[in-house]
Amino acid sequence: MGARETTAADDAATGPAERAPARAAAPIIEISHVSKTFEARHGDGLEVLRDIDLVIGEKEFVSLVGRSGCGKTTLLNIIAGLEAASSGEVRISGRPVRGPGQGQGVVFQQHALFPWLTALDNVAFGARNQNLDKAGKRDRARELLRLVGLEDAAAKYPRELSGGMQQRVAIARALALDPEILLMDEPFGALDEMTRLELQQELLRIWAVRRKTVVFVTHSIEEALVLSDRVVLLAAHPGRVSRDLAVTLARPRSRTDPRFAALHEEIWEGLSS
Amino acid sequence: MKRQLIQLAVALALIAAILAGLEVGVRSGFLKAYQFPPASRIARGFVEITTTGFPTGISIWSHTLTTIVRILEGYIGALVLAIPLGLLIGAVGVLDKMTAPIVVFCRSIATLSLLPLVIVWFGAGELTKAVLIGYGCFWTMLSNVIAGVKYVDPVLVRAGRSFGLSGTELYRTVVFPAALPRIFAGARMALGVGFMVIVGAEMIGTIEGLGALIMEARSFYRSEITIIGMLVIGVLGFVISSGLAAAERIMLPWSTDLEGIRR
Repeated sequence: MGARETTAADDAATGPAERAPARAAAPIIEISHVSKTFEARHGDGLEVLRDIDLVIGEKEFVSLVGRSGCGKTTLLNIIAGLEAASSGEVRISGRPVRGPGQGQGVVFQQHALFPWLTALDNVAFGARNQNLDKAGKRDRARELLRLVGLEDAAAKYPRELSGGMQQRVAIARALALDPEILLMDEPFGALDEMTRLELQQELLRIWAVRRKTVVFVTHSIEEALVLSDRVVLLAAHPGRVSRDLAVTLARPRSRTDPRFAALHEEIWEGLSS
Repeated sequence: MKRQLIQLAVALALIAAILAGLEVGVRSGFLKAYQFPPASRIARGFVEITTTGFPTGISIWSHTLTTIVRILEGYIGALVLAIPLGLLIGAVGVLDKMTAPIVVFCRSIATLSLLPLVIVWFGAGELTKAVLIGYGCFWTMLSNVIAGVKYVDPVLVRAGRSFGLSGTELYRTVVFPAALPRIFAGARMALGVGFMVIVGAEMIGTIEGLGALIMEARSFYRSEITIIGMLVIGVLGFVISSGLAAAERIMLPWSTDLEGIRR
């Protein structure tokens, strides 16, 4: 289950999804036999994840794609240390995950900025555990706001920012932790189409500057294909890995590229089957 | 703009028509003045109460001041007790479960029904009035503080945890500020309760205060004085409540709570 499978497309020399090359990158996240069942007061409880095995390499950009109910957010929360697995284990850089703060920065879906802090202070909050004095944290926050293109909004409260700007601040806040791993839970899911496309490009630009390992949860196949090195499909009820595809197209990727379309088709079939 | 002006004019005209109707009704002997005091009488009553006072010697200003002091005593006392207690109960699930029945029970008791008991315990003096007002404010405030802490947006808590926060540090830096808008809303509601209780609390053992004024006027068939008392209480409530809202806008400039609520 969840093993790398060879697809028909790979066999053709022009196949869009070349099999993931033997990755040079060292593994940073190792998920082994992770299962999660939510206890119910009555009955058997809800099995959300079953026996997930997944290795993610350093600096890799991996998307987790699946229908709602496939447990992709739960899996992300387990990697983040915000939820415990019922069985199995996640290791980051070889150390078992016991909780947050082991190098994971999280960007949530929306409205997760602290409304009582300005954009600058939200980002500085992310730097709270860095060995910096107050001015140092603010300097760092200012630098990160500049990175996400929002240096002018430093003094604004979240309610004064648009949805897209809020998510930029959220990304800066997660980066302030200087994490090795950026975990993103449908971060653009609640944004309008134009803003979403803009932020996708923005994220790629940031990722090029601050090379992190990214685990990106989305239900949009297209979004996953535009962004990632690798797309992991999760099947639902219970959530399990059904496919693991490498995307080797050069960035920036064009949606009209026939290879893009072929991959889209392949993933779509994988999700429908 | 034009439409709003017309609406305002109609509203004012309606009030003027009612006042004029009362005036005519009383002068023609159709209505009794002590049942429906007309505007002219209310105006005369107002002059009397600001000069000689009612009962003689006590002006409207000292009635108002007395009432403000009583409300603030009870209200501030209630806030001082309810806020820390609510912050504690809301944070500890077990405490919340244990106290929930008591909170709901006590909050549901009409404050004034406690009057006889409170008199037995504290006599008929100032303390009784403060205790009654405090009682009403306390439970409203307490249940709001508890709810504010308990129903903090879980996403914010998860965000806080994702930065490695837990325990009292998480509570102090995330849960408490997130609960502030609800705590402020509770403070506004509790003040409203204080104003509802005050008239009853001033019914016994005093001739000073707006509530006492209203009751005194009744024994002298001076309905216009009763109406003046009501008006002053209304204005007072409006002013203090606006003050609280202004304080909230200054202290919580980030809150979206007051948008659309301007009272």
